[in-house]
Amino acid sequence: MRIKDRGPLIVLGFLSAASLLAQDIPLPSGSIKINLPEGSPLLIAGTVTDQSRATARGAAMVIDLDLLLQLRNVSGRQIHGVTLRVVSQEVTVGGYASVAYPSLHVGPGETFPARIDIELVRPTQAMSGSLVEVNLDGVLFQDLSFYGPDRLNSRRSMTAREMEAQRDREYFKRILAQAGQEGLKTAMLESLTRQAERPRLDVRVVRGGPAVTSAANPAAEHSAEFAFLKFPDSPVAPVSGYAQLAGNEARAPRIEVRNDSKEIVKWVEIGWLVRDQNGRRYMAASIPAGDPGLLLRPGGTARVLQDTALNFSKDGRPVNIQGMTGYVSQVQFADGRMWAPGRADLEKEYLLNLLPPSNEEQRLSDVYRKKGINALVEELKKY
Amino acid sequence: MRHPNEATLALQAGGDLGTLARRRVERHLARCGRCREEVAAFQAVRELLPEMTAPREIHWNRLAAEMKANIRLGLAAGECVRPEPRALRDTPLFAGARAAVALASVLVLLIGGVVLERPAPRAEIAGVEGVEFQTTATGIQVREGGGTLRLLHGARDFRVQIGGRLRDVPAVTITPGAQGSMGAGYVDSETGIPTVTNVYYAD
Repeated sequence: MRIKDRGPLIVLGFLSAASLLAQDIPLPSGSIKINLPEGSPLLIAGTVTDQSRATARGAAMVIDLDLLLQLRNVSGRQIHGVTLRVVSQEVTVGGYASVAYPSLHVGPGETFPARIDIELVRPTQAMSGSLVEVNLDGVLFQDLSFYGPDRLNSRRSMTAREMEAQRDREYFKRILAQAGQEGLKTAMLESLTRQAERPRLDVRVVRGGPAVTSAANPAAEHSAEFAFLKFPDSPVAPVSGYAQLAGNEARAPRIEVRNDSKEIVKWVEIGWLVRDQNGRRYMAASIPAGDPGLLLRPGGTARVLQDTALNFSKDGRPVNIQGMTGYVSQVQFADGRMWAPGRADLEKEYLLNLLPPSNEEQRLSDVYRKKGINALVEELKKY
Repeated sequence: MRHPNEATLALQAGGDLGTLARRRVERHLARCGRCREEVAAFQAVRELLPEMTAPREIHWNRLAAEMKANIRLGLAAGECVRPEPRALRDTPLFAGARAAVALASVLVLLIGGVVLERPAPRAEIAGVEGVEFQTTATGIQVREGGGTLRLLHGARDFRVQIGGRLRDVPAVTITPGAQGSMGAGYVDSETGIPTVTNVYYAD
């Protein structure tokens, strides 16, 4: 046989050799460990992991873990939120993750699906033991009572989301009551328009120092002052704030706040907006209080600070920051109650167009988009 | 007297002999009664089987195809009995510049295969300093050293008609945390459940 007749066979052979470099490897048994504590209000009714696989890529290993859990509410109360804590110490020693399911309405005995889709990249191909551990961090009930170890402060974040959900649900229910289906339809289209037009930046966060020196002007780092939006009913007021700016990078935000309420505050979070050279504003990040032991007495002041660097870009190009604005986005009192700005306040300050929609607003607009206005009306009538 | 053989007599009976051979046989038949009887017998048989006297119809196309097939068969048979060819590596086809071209092709195939199967940026598996939180096209991630923990989004951007215009709506909202975290919120397209994912780092 001549060589030219063997050509296709040779090509096929080398393609096979190349594909061997990216070969799928079966996951060892016990790769995923799911732990629910004894007495948990949730029970695992089913687990599907058949889409999970590991792929060798050069010297590294890429592990896709596609986990679908069916969780059953075995408590006697309605569940409104669940947070799961995901750890992979085989891949990152300090890195961990959470997957939360807010805006739930799971009654006693009912089940709901919880999907966790994780991709792990590790520099070696050795695999042993469990790659991922999933633990329950918290369950929030309808009456805002809580169950769980709360290692991720899930109680606070889920309570805040539940409050946002109730706020936005009430807003759309009021529109339905006042303007009927047509009014609700208009409000939904406005919501979808806001979601489509909301200006967005790509943000990279680096802990422990500058992200990269700004390519735009490496020597021009300077201290820039925050401007503040103030809401009349906010229990905490921002007083002053600074961050270091250099081109498209901002780092080390420091904001002083004062407790204007008569109650002790144990948590404050500041919303951080940035303005580019064209005057366009973007939601950049949230700045939570760094001190977990914060107890801010009435009239007292405290500093909200973080030692991280944020790098801003859009469509792969750096976006130089010209100004910064802050506002109080969340407050938690010592007794666990939460405060967040109302929808009217956000609208008044044009923040609704900048902030991401709440989980409930996303959910309701998803119902409208997929099932239509009648299904949305039925959904709003349910709870 | 020397008698013609049977075949010649048969041909004489059919009128198939050439001019000289026919004259010679005719002279012999004039003097030999036995051979005359044999020719008469052959003629009688031909009259009994008239179709044998008519020339057979020849299918020229079939004949041509058979001839070509025979030629191919002959050539193939010839290949079978040829001496064994030299090994591939001893042939000039695998020497010098041709070998270099073949090796280069192999390298291109191998590198192409690896690149196609590894769309992630190379830095992803190389060591990085510090801890970094990022969004990617498919999820949010925390990178530490050579390891990456990424939570993939369970929803894709969609299009919706608003006021006669098709608008692209992002399905996922991203919330960076200045304390060192990255969050994403979406309605899972498979389960319909609102989902909030976060990646963090603890010292």
